[in-house]
Amino acid sequence: MRKLLRFMNGYRLRAVAAPLFKLFEAIMELLVPLIVAQIIDVGIAGGDRGYIVRRVVLMVVFGIAGLAFAVTAQYFSAKVAVGYTGRVRRALFAHLGKLSYTEIDTIGTDTLITRLTGDMNQIQNGVNLTLRLLMRSPFIVFGATAMAFTVDSHAALVFVGLIPVLAIVIFAIMLITVPLYKRVQGRLDRVVSGLRRNLAGVRVLRAFNKEADERADFAGRTADLSRSQTRVGAISSLLNPLTYCIVNLVILLLVYVGALRVDSGHLTQGEVVALYNYMAQILVELVKLANLILNITRAIACGNRVQSIFEITPSVTSPEGALLVERPLRIAAADAGEAAPDRSLDISFGDSPDISFGSSDGGDVIPLSDPDDGEVSLNRFETSDYQNFLAGLDGASAADAAADSAPDRSLCSSDASADSGKAPIISFRDVSLRYAGASSDMLSGINCDIYPGEYVGVIGGTGSGKTSLVQLLPRFYDITGGSLSVFGHEVREYDVDSLRSAVRIVPQKAVLFSGTVRSNLLWGKPDATDEELWDALERACAADFIRALPEGLDAPVSKGGGNFSGGQRQRLTIARAFVSDADILILDDSGSALDYATEQKLRKALHESKGKTVFYVSQRAGALTSCDRILVMEDGDLVGNGTHEQLLASCPVYREIAAASGINVPPLPPSDTDDGLSAKGGAK
Amino acid sequence: MKAKSVLSHLMHYLKRSLPLLAAALLLAAGSVILQILVPKKVGAAIDTIVGPGEVAFDALWGFLRTAGIFILISACCTWLMSLLLNRVSFRVVRDIRNDAVNHITRLPLSYLDARANGDIISRVVTDVDQVSDGLLLGFAQFFTGILTIVGTLVLMFLTNVKIALVVMLLTPLSLFVARFIASRTFRMFRAQSEARAKQTSLIDEYVGQAKIVQAYSYESRAAEQFNSCDGKLCDCALKATFFSSLTNPCTRFVNSTVYAACALVGSFAVIGGSLSVGMLTTMLAYAGQYAKPFNEISGVITELQNALACAARIFELLDEPLPAAQPETPDLPESLHGDINFSHVAFSYVPERPLITDMNISVNSGMRIAIVGPTGCGKTTLINLLMRFYEIKGGEITFDGMPLKDIPKSFLRRNIGMVLQDTWLSDGTIRDNIAMGNPNATDEEIREAAKAAHAHSFIRRLPNGYDTVLGEHGGGLSAGQRQLLCIARVMLCLPPILILDEATSSIDTRTEWKIQDAFATMMKGRTSFIVAHRLSTIKNADLILVMKDGNVIEQGTHETLMARESFYKTLYLAGSREA
Repeated sequence: MRKLLRFMNGYRLRAVAAPLFKLFEAIMELLVPLIVAQIIDVGIAGGDRGYIVRRVVLMVVFGIAGLAFAVTAQYFSAKVAVGYTGRVRRALFAHLGKLSYTEIDTIGTDTLITRLTGDMNQIQNGVNLTLRLLMRSPFIVFGATAMAFTVDSHAALVFVGLIPVLAIVIFAIMLITVPLYKRVQGRLDRVVSGLRRNLAGVRVLRAFNKEADERADFAGRTADLSRSQTRVGAISSLLNPLTYCIVNLVILLLVYVGALRVDSGHLTQGEVVALYNYMAQILVELVKLANLILNITRAIACGNRVQSIFEITPSVTSPEGALLVERPLRIAAADAGEAAPDRSLDISFGDSPDISFGSSDGGDVIPLSDPDDGEVSLNRFETSDYQNFLAGLDGASAADAAADSAPDRSLCSSDASADSGKAPIISFRDVSLRYAGASSDMLSGINCDIYPGEYVGVIGGTGSGKTSLVQLLPRFYDITGGSLSVFGHEVREYDVDSLRSAVRIVPQKAVLFSGTVRSNLLWGKPDATDEELWDALERACAADFIRALPEGLDAPVSKGGGNFSGGQRQRLTIARAFVSDADILILDDSGSALDYATEQKLRKALHESKGKTVFYVSQRAGALTSCDRILVMEDGDLVGNGTHEQLLASCPVYREIAAASGINVPPLPPSDTDDGLSAKGGAK
Repeated sequence: MKAKSVLSHLMHYLKRSLPLLAAALLLAAGSVILQILVPKKVGAAIDTIVGPGEVAFDALWGFLRTAGIFILISACCTWLMSLLLNRVSFRVVRDIRNDAVNHITRLPLSYLDARANGDIISRVVTDVDQVSDGLLLGFAQFFTGILTIVGTLVLMFLTNVKIALVVMLLTPLSLFVARFIASRTFRMFRAQSEARAKQTSLIDEYVGQAKIVQAYSYESRAAEQFNSCDGKLCDCALKATFFSSLTNPCTRFVNSTVYAACALVGSFAVIGGSLSVGMLTTMLAYAGQYAKPFNEISGVITELQNALACAARIFELLDEPLPAAQPETPDLPESLHGDINFSHVAFSYVPERPLITDMNISVNSGMRIAIVGPTGCGKTTLINLLMRFYEIKGGEITFDGMPLKDIPKSFLRRNIGMVLQDTWLSDGTIRDNIAMGNPNATDEEIREAAKAAHAHSFIRRLPNGYDTVLGEHGGGLSAGQRQLLCIARVMLCLPPILILDEATSSIDTRTEWKIQDAFATMMKGRTSFIVAHRLSTIKNADLILVMKDGNVIEQGTHETLMARESFYKTLYLAGSREA
């Protein structure tokens, strides 16, 4: 709770003023019974009508003053409660934006949403009530007791006896009912989940003729609920009659004690009436107090939960003096690409080794053949580390060597000569990843290099680590071992936002946000022109259906994109990634909701994305045959790295996947089984 | 829904509890009357205390004893009344909810599909609670409130007409003030809840999809939107909170004015000799208490209105007409063969937009039918019609020559096994889930089915094996594992007709490959409808239905379709280029 209190800064004065004014109001109220006593003892006894009128006017004046104090207090407390809660809420929202995937996984988004909504309302309510009543109610209870003492200390002892008795009764009932209410909540949850299963599972339940069983099951749940509600209701409804009983019996006792005191001449009749009035005030306030305590406990519990979120420090943060990814990568082949049938790519390296891909003019040209005609040019397996990268900075000849080696489609070997000239854009070195709370590594010993402009396929079974692997690139998770460099530097050295705008990922689950098609597409690049948007839509095969909408780009998107079909949503999320013009584009099984023809068109568009390094994660080998490189994952290990043909010839896991996908798998040449690639494929 | 019909629905649920309800009202009346009488007795007791040596102890004792008895009886009445009301209200809630689920399990899917689950859940859960809280407890409060006011007034008039008149003339002021504030704040509360709803949906999106927000570094832009939204909420909340919190001080002020006036008139009456000091105390106590129910009642009226609105929402669900009862068909075979015929079938989800116009399919028992077509072509619709989740609008579907409409749904569905892309599992154990179609299956049979579906190995590795309890949405299992369980579920009952809608879409290719054999065995001799991407599966089908925009545009075998320039051929060529 303490940390949450710092948000009170600036509200302190008002937070003090509110209860203070409440106090004044309470004092006004406490004075009324005294005035009544005076009216009885002085005015009535002396038959002094003028005195009575003056006292009554005083009562009204006190009432007006009380009203003024109360309104001031209510205003301050509303202001503080609302302002304070808003401040905490905004801070919490901003804090959530900083949490990284690991924290989001551990806490869960549902919890976070509850913290921001329900808990905040409870806190606002709690603060408001605290400021308004926490001072007032006890003050009136104790004040009335104190006033009773000023009237008559003997009779006041009755009050002193009453308060603990009432407190015990109220707390006992609360203590008994709180766990019972918790059970009621649990049973209510079961009713809700029973209802939900009947709605969510309606097709399956009907297919299996389960309707009658479900009705019986649900009736059981509601019966349980109603039983436990009745039980807790029986106890909690004791509270009112019991407090009524106690207070009124005590009043009778008070009148009796008062009678004795009047009889012995220590007290007047008017004073007995005053004592009686004080008792009535106590009754009203005690009930409020019990309610207040309940509300405050709830608010404190919520506060603690919110606080616990604030206490979580994000694990992925930009370091001091973070590097910026220099973008965009120059594509010198803008004209060369038209001249040559090949897709050519010019990547400029800056003179400073600090900045991996700068924007100077001098550069190497790494030619890539057009994947569409089946020529895969770049075969690099065992590649340079960062030293080679630096060494390659000046090697125009090395580029030639690479160009020479392009037609060489033989199996890769550990011969690094072909690679010596090229700098990998991504380089995994003994990378391992273990998710928070997991008992074993999700990824282990990953080693591979990816070169600029490559079209990389990632394949493997469910849970083999494909998604985990690609999620490391935008630093959604921090690696737990080894090193991972992108654009020549450790991912940890970059400014996170800069890195992520250079590495875009299209997640498995296609999610859009409410707004318009345009507002969604602008996510990755707020200043993109309409032309760019249409271009991206075109490439993502989404232009047709957007054009068919009357509003075009301004067509509304409802929450989650619910007004588009699954396939359309997926294409829009791909377009969104295209718009942002990242250097590395990752599609994590994003084609799964698309039909063949559309997916194929999409892949063609990806192949044609000049200068981009593309990762295409898929479950289907058929979708990856034309990749420059395919990474095969199995149980968190990289078990294959090569072209389709190379892997078919050497990687047993890939052969199995390919065969399962209906690809004709040639028998293994007996001598080839332990050659370079399979050695490589098995290497960890 | 009209208020009258809402009330008649409510009466239906209250009928059984009417005696309890009547008893509760009687008890309430008793408790209120006694509570009103207590201050009178206390006042009388105070009158026996005149001054030193002038206390009539015998009379005092008498009054105190009576008051004490009144207090005890009244407390008992209040408690008993709460018990009875609780019982009635929880019973009504339970009955409405049970009826709702009875209804939901019978409603046509066209109704359920058209509505968000959240909407139905909130009707059955929140609205029903509101009905019981608002209508029953609200009614009780209303009743006791009115009784208190009337009773107090009567007693006041009996004690002293002048004071009673003053109080009666001034109290409407308190009512007026409360009304005035309530009507002003109502609008502010509505503005607040609108602002809150807007913010909640923003939170839902941005926090629910926090990962994507981060992937696009959208955090600060999201925070900007949030902050402006929050600013609006804070404005509304401040107004609503402040103005609504004025009710208490204002009515308190009016009450204290009434109290003062009562004290003034009362004291003059005492001096004039028409009232005793004790009775003045009583009158003052009444003046303090008398106005309280007014506040409660104005609160209760809004609550009652709200409860009526909620009741209308829930009864709307319960009034939704059910499909006509199935006529009896005495001569049912043991099971279906699987000859299925669609002739001139027409269907649409919305009358204005015809989907299927003239569908003709003829399937013989044991055939393997592949359904292909682009996304949204109507594959799911076809399944909806086969399972009779939806009713056709024209033409006829026959199973073994029997018109579909004459076949009892339960019999039909017993004869069809279905594995859908959407892998819904119930929140029970794995064993319960596999045995869903055949609750009497032995452990041995269940294990065999799991083995056939290649689910046995992962189930065995779970901490509690087959007794592992799955949470809602099959929590804890991967999509692929859930799908394997769905397959095992069908493997256990093996009905004569199978529907496999992308049954292996979430399973990795290698496992899928392994299941193929099991699938092949399963489909042998059974009529099976398969929606699949895999070309090899499609190629081996006995009949290929090519669907587009809801209709079957081509049908035939792979060879016949490839022999001409068909839509199928384009699809096939597009697909085979990659495989």
